[in-house]
Amino acid sequence: MPEFGRNTLELIVQELQRPVRVDESFDRRVMVRVRRMHAERRSHFAADWLGTAVNLTRRPAYAAALAAGVVAVVTVGMLRSRPETVASAGPIPVQFVLVAPEARSVAVVGDFNNWGLGDTALVAENHNGVWSVSAPVPAGVHRYAFLVNGKQWVADPTAPRAASDDFGQPSSALVVEGSLE
Amino acid sequence: MESSDAALVSRVLHGEVNAYGALVSRYRDKYARYAVHMLGNREDAEEALQDAFTRAYRSLARCEDPERFGAWLFRILVNRCRTSGARRVRRGQTFVHDETALLNASQEHPAEQTMWREEIERALGELSADQREAFLLKYVEELGYDEMAEITGVGVSALKMRVMRACDRLRVLLKEVHSA
Repeated sequence: MPEFGRNTLELIVQELQRPVRVDESFDRRVMVRVRRMHAERRSHFAADWLGTAVNLTRRPAYAAALAAGVVAVVTVGMLRSRPETVASAGPIPVQFVLVAPEARSVAVVGDFNNWGLGDTALVAENHNGVWSVSAPVPAGVHRYAFLVNGKQWVADPTAPRAASDDFGQPSSALVVEGSLE
Repeated sequence: MESSDAALVSRVLHGEVNAYGALVSRYRDKYARYAVHMLGNREDAEEALQDAFTRAYRSLARCEDPERFGAWLFRILVNRCRTSGARRVRRGQTFVHDETALLNASQEHPAEQTMWREEIERALGELSADQREAFLLKYVEELGYDEMAEITGVGVSALKMRVMRACDRLRVLLKEVHSA
């Protein structure tokens, strides 16, 4: 036991800074979970995209309405985005729109596509500065954001902000209700 | 040559999931120390650390500066420890010292050193969670107050106060043990 009267704090810190070693089995446990998440994500994402293709081709009226919405946004020239939902079985197609004329690329990342991990980000198409992309989103409450130029994290300016979480970037809240059909 | 954090993150984001293992190995021990001291036992610490790694993987695309993956992961861990600590309080569990760590320490250090370590762990457990967090971040992890504020979301003045009170309390607690 060290004598007091010396620099006690220094002695405490010295003791607490000693290394703590974790068994190597820890790595294996983490990687088992990570690989499982990786496999689940890839299978879900592929299935969701097949569903979207079918839904959109069956709904020309929806596509036309969406195009009209894009034009309206361009006309007013505001920074605006709007996820819209239509009736569908299974995951609901949601349209994400962001007006960002200066952007070189825009993608949508959220918990529904595991924040774009492993190339699952939804790459938006540019229509004169109005970026849009459709994606099937399961019913429930989700967080999402736009990834501009591959690095700038932008919350949806027209959607409610999601409560703060661990990751330090802004995100928006999206509520997708269950099937309407 | 060892890959940078940014290079490993990039490989993971491009589907090379095994590259994440290198990041786990790199930060496992370093951050286990914080979790063990913060939570007071190895089981909760490993759980919080494992949770932090898997949450970080799930949200890896949200890591704005992959070169600073370690700092980003640490922020997640600090939050995980807060959640775990709050859960433990709700369960009514008291702070216990890390028996495994003490056992390891006793093999490496004289008995007196082990006693000293045990008293420090016990004194740490006497601090409030806020004070313990601030003290560990400042003195053990050697972060600046600005970094601490960024990680914890607490203002610099409040953090300085917590650190000061933690130091005063530790001195009193350990002096009491020494005089007893």
